[in-house]
Amino acid sequence: MGIGTYLALASVLFGIGAAGFLTRRNMLIQLMSIELMLNSVNVVLLAFNRVNPENHDGQVFAFFVIAVAAAEAAVGLAILIAYYRIKKTIDTDDATLLKY
Amino acid sequence: MHDEASQQILLLLIILFPLGGAIINGLLGRYMPKALVTFVGLGSVAVSFALAVTAFVELYGLSGHDDVHATLTYQFYEWFSLKLPRGNLVPINVRFVMDSLSGVMTLVVTGVGGLIHLYSLGYMGEDEGYPRFMSFLNLFMASMLILVLGSSLPVMFVGWEGVGLCSYLLIGFWYENRVYAAAGRKAFVVNRIGDFGVLVGMFILVGVAGSFEFADINSAAVAGEFRPNFPFGILGVVPSLATVACVFLFLGCTGKSAQIPLFVWLPDAMAGPTPVSALIHAATMVTAGVYLCCRLSPLFITSDVAMAIIAVTGTLTALLAASIAVVQREMKKILAYSTVSQLGFMFAAVGVGFFAAGFFHVFTHAFFKACLFLGAGSVMHAVHAHGDADIFKLGGLKKILPITRWTFLASCLAIAGFPLTSGFFSKDEILLGAAAQIYRPDDALQHAVGWFTLIGLTLAAVMTAFYMFRLYFLTFTGEYRSADQSGDHPYDAHPHESPPSMTIPLIVLGIGALVVGFLGLPHVMPITGTHLYSWWGHWMHSSVAGQPVPEEMHIVNLASGLAFGAMAVGIGAAWLLYRNKSTDALAENMPKRLFELAFDKWRIDELYAATIVNPIKKVATVAGHADMTFVDALMTKWPSFNVRETARIFARLQNGVVQMYGAVMVVGFVAVLAFFWTPHSHIEAAFEGSKVELTTPLGLGYEYRWDANSDGEFETGWAHAPETNFEYAQSDVRGAAVFISNARSGVERRIDVGKDWMRLPIEAVAPAATLSRDDVGFEVRVDGQELVFRRPDPPTLLAGSKEMRLPMGKGGRLGPARVYARPIVEATVEVRNAFGNSRRDSKEIALPFWIEETPSHASLMPARSEVVR
Repeated sequence: MGIGTYLALASVLFGIGAAGFLTRRNMLIQLMSIELMLNSVNVVLLAFNRVNPENHDGQVFAFFVIAVAAAEAAVGLAILIAYYRIKKTIDTDDATLLKY
Repeated sequence: MHDEASQQILLLLIILFPLGGAIINGLLGRYMPKALVTFVGLGSVAVSFALAVTAFVELYGLSGHDDVHATLTYQFYEWFSLKLPRGNLVPINVRFVMDSLSGVMTLVVTGVGGLIHLYSLGYMGEDEGYPRFMSFLNLFMASMLILVLGSSLPVMFVGWEGVGLCSYLLIGFWYENRVYAAAGRKAFVVNRIGDFGVLVGMFILVGVAGSFEFADINSAAVAGEFRPNFPFGILGVVPSLATVACVFLFLGCTGKSAQIPLFVWLPDAMAGPTPVSALIHAATMVTAGVYLCCRLSPLFITSDVAMAIIAVTGTLTALLAASIAVVQREMKKILAYSTVSQLGFMFAAVGVGFFAAGFFHVFTHAFFKACLFLGAGSVMHAVHAHGDADIFKLGGLKKILPITRWTFLASCLAIAGFPLTSGFFSKDEILLGAAAQIYRPDDALQHAVGWFTLIGLTLAAVMTAFYMFRLYFLTFTGEYRSADQSGDHPYDAHPHESPPSMTIPLIVLGIGALVVGFLGLPHVMPITGTHLYSWWGHWMHSSVAGQPVPEEMHIVNLASGLAFGAMAVGIGAAWLLYRNKSTDALAENMPKRLFELAFDKWRIDELYAATIVNPIKKVATVAGHADMTFVDALMTKWPSFNVRETARIFARLQNGVVQMYGAVMVVGFVAVLAFFWTPHSHIEAAFEGSKVELTTPLGLGYEYRWDANSDGEFETGWAHAPETNFEYAQSDVRGAAVFISNARSGVERRIDVGKDWMRLPIEAVAPAATLSRDDVGFEVRVDGQELVFRRPDPPTLLAGSKEMRLPMGKGGRLGPARVYARPIVEATVEVRNAFGNSRRDSKEIALPFWIEETPSHASLMPARSEVVR
């Protein structure tokens, strides 16, 4: 199985994530979309590491991405809860407090 | 001077105590109980008075046994120094000096000031602004003492401005009332005009004398340093330096001391509380101008012209103010114009060279005028009048307010010049000065001034006695006209005498008004001709210059007779017209229009409004519009409008929709990706001998390979370095070009040349002025290693030959143009990026040299332009 297949999978995953992020108005769904995009990156990193197995840079980076994604999810969910307490909704269309 | 140090510091303490009181009451007064405010305000002035007495006794002791100019000095510190155009450095010291002149003034300021502080306790005690009032009053005392004790003009000027500030603050003390606040502003603005004069005078003085110290200026004046003419004159008349300096200083005096033309602020200043009127606008501050003239008397006396101006101005002011006071209806207004008039007397005395007499009138005036104002305040307090009291609603108060009545009467007698009261002696001395001027030999100007002054002052003295007793009779004799409460806005039906804190100052000042005149007995008694000892004359002699006091009996008798006669006529007329009366006989018997004109103060304020104030207002309106339309609108609002509206457009992007931000991010990401999808290159060539260095910008992850001569075969393999060196062979030359640079027609052009003749554009090689349609210009072609230029018909420009041959790589001249022949080669680079996309880029390069078939040293010579013949 060549690297192309992995890259295609990653592209599809990233595309789904980006589309979800851009089209859905539910903050939870958007956070999940971001996770999807991050994981597509992980797939790319691991795929390239498999092609160049002399070192483990790709795998190490994948772990970094997982850690950062976890932190990001924690912060994102905290913001979401705080936001929900103020607005009683998690629809991003209502998040317009900093609008011009 | 024995025991110097301990005596000198007294002078500083005299000032610091009221200043400290002002700071404490000003900052903390509103949090302190009233008793403490009183203690601080009154105590600081009392201590200051005690210190002043101590210092004065010391000074008296010093000057007692020898007749020298005894002084106490205290050098505080050097404030700053000033460099004159001549180059010498003039230090400005904060130094205080007490001599005979400033010593007396210090006693008056602290003594009368202390009494008025005590009076304020009763008069202002119930006002909610009492701490503020006490603070301002103390600040005034400190400023006035700096003015009096300062040894140099700048230090005096600090006090001068300080008292002006306090005057402004106290006139507008009840600032909620717009009229009062406006009166304060008026006083301040009018005084600023005078202050300008003081500054100009000060600079002239320091420019000539090279010092700010009064003592140095006076000795310079005595030495005649101010005699030379001023650098330029007006209408051909060139005044002396002394005249110009004195006139400018006197302008300052007319502001501070309410003389024509700047007297208009003082009557309005009565808007302030009555103790303020008594202290600042009668006893002390307004006499600062007279004090300044006396301080610089040796200077003033050197200028006859300035003295004449002062005498005439003083006399006119005395007359004008007295004529207004005669018809006024309100107590404080009458007293205000009386003050202006009396200040006129003082300046008239100064103007005829009787500085000591003028200052003696300052001294006696401080007592009786303070007493009169405080008496008026006592009456207003008794009848609950606010602002001012209309004398036609009063009357008969002598039974109800006995203390006020007797002290008021004493002061009225003094100001009218009743024999043996203080005003009698001081006014007599002034008239004596005017009379002496008449008998001074051989000076037409002085004669005229003397006559004018004597007659004017006598008339003013008649009016003074008249209006004072008109005031007295209408207030204190007859029936109390507000008793029946039926009139128009009557006062309290049941007045009462004032508290002791108000009557004690009245009694002290009233006694003073009667007796202080004995300090300045005349040198020669009228009629009998007995010589008397004048303490005042001897005391002032050491610090004040002046004309000699005449001892001829006819002069003395003339002056005394006029003074006594004026007093008698004035009091007698008032007795007949107003004693026990309730109506204004003057208003009924004078021509109506004249009376109204006088009652309206001769409409001086309206005159100023029409001639000065309104034109300035109009200019200000125009300037204001210019400010609003140009500065504010065009330069401020228009740019900010642009920024705001631009920002409004871009603010639309911040629409708060998270997905929009995300979408923009994706678009941007795609744009960046598209840019990096294919590599970019741009070939640059640098020449070093026969070698050519080719470079292209470095890109991240780029690889390069070069085909420097574009023959289709790459000389280098893929490499990360973005440059290569190459040496071209003859076979690489693709063509030739001529570079034309014509400075006259401004043409810079590259033209590719082939083996066939081609025509050069005419404007490239001909001067702009000779262009014509008939001019066919030049043709050029390549011939081996040379470019051949020819002129088909007729060959005019190439003198002597039909052709010019220019080797490749060289430069030459073709008419007005410089031409360079260049061989052209072409370089190609192929760039490949990390995506595997590659791109070729070619560029033609014009070599500045010709290529030898075998590279030799000759071809390594740098290309150089030269004229080829």
